[in-house]
Amino acid sequence: MNIYGVIAAGNIDPSESVHPLWPPAAELIYGGIASLIIFSLLWKFAGPAAKKGMADRTARIQADLDAADTALTSARTEAADIRRAAGDIEAERARLLADADAQAADIIADGRARIDAEVADLEARAAADAASMGDRLGDELRAEIAGLSAEVTQRLLAETLDESAQQQMIEDFIQKVGSSS
Amino acid sequence: MSDARIEGYARALFEIARAEGTLDEVEDELFRFARSYESSDALRNALTDEMVPADRRQGIVESLLGDRATATTVQLISMVVGSGRGRDLPEIIDSLVARASHSKDLEVAEARSAVALTDDQKTRLAAALANATGQQVNLKVVVDPSVIGGIVATVGDTVIDGTVRTRLDQLKSRL
Repeated sequence: MNIYGVIAAGNIDPSESVHPLWPPAAELIYGGIASLIIFSLLWKFAGPAAKKGMADRTARIQADLDAADTALTSARTEAADIRRAAGDIEAERARLLADADAQAADIIADGRARIDAEVADLEARAAADAASMGDRLGDELRAEIAGLSAEVTQRLLAETLDESAQQQMIEDFIQKVGSSS
Repeated sequence: MSDARIEGYARALFEIARAEGTLDEVEDELFRFARSYESSDALRNALTDEMVPADRRQGIVESLLGDRATATTVQLISMVVGSGRGRDLPEIIDSLVARASHSKDLEVAEARSAVALTDDQKTRLAAALANATGQQVNLKVVVDPSVIGGIVATVGDTVIDGTVRTRLDQLKSRL
């Protein structure tokens, strides 16, 4: 039973010389020496282990801090890469759109140029066809006029070539053939 | 018909006419009949139609020529038509005329005119052609209204053209 129990139980006599809270001197001395011995032993044998454990813990915490710092740096790098990549994607998108616009403009320009050329070619062909048709019609008309003229001339000649004219031509032929050799 | 067969018929006709002593007259009549045959589709069809019996075709020849040709001429044409060689009649006759002309050292000269020539004109034309070609000619005149006016003469491969028809054709070409 400790002192508080003794007091509570009422078994202590307050008139006794022993102080209820303060131990006897001898006990203090022995206890102090024993405590010094224990603390010395602890200091000697358990201290290094404790120091080592603390050092290890410190190192582990430091390693964790370093790892966290590295992870933070890596995350920041990745974030920067992602932001840069996002910027590149935007730039690529802009470039692709610009290229598409340029190609569309080229295609439209080529198409317009081709259509203009085809229209010009069609106009030229139409003009050539019209000219050719005009020439052909002119030729046909001239041939028709020539044929009709020859026909009319033949009829007129047949009507005007009387017997005397026929005889004159025969005589002319005989004279012409006779004079040639 | 082959050339040999045509020549055979021509030689036979030539010998018959010469034996009869009417070569010049028969030759001239045959030549004029050949030109009529060439220019008449109806006559050509009538004399070459295989569906018409031979004696009927010969009857056509005799009724056409009748007394307008010598009996020898009628018989010779009738013989050719009756043997089914009517299609070759012009070639046979031309060969006969050439043979007859060569027998007299003459070259056949064909003159086409819109109107008939007088005997005097024929004589002077024959002389003129002989002068122009350097060969004595056996002149055959064909009246061909298609020449319109003037004369076209053919001697061998030589053609002397003085017809109105040719001048009209030239004018038409120029136009």
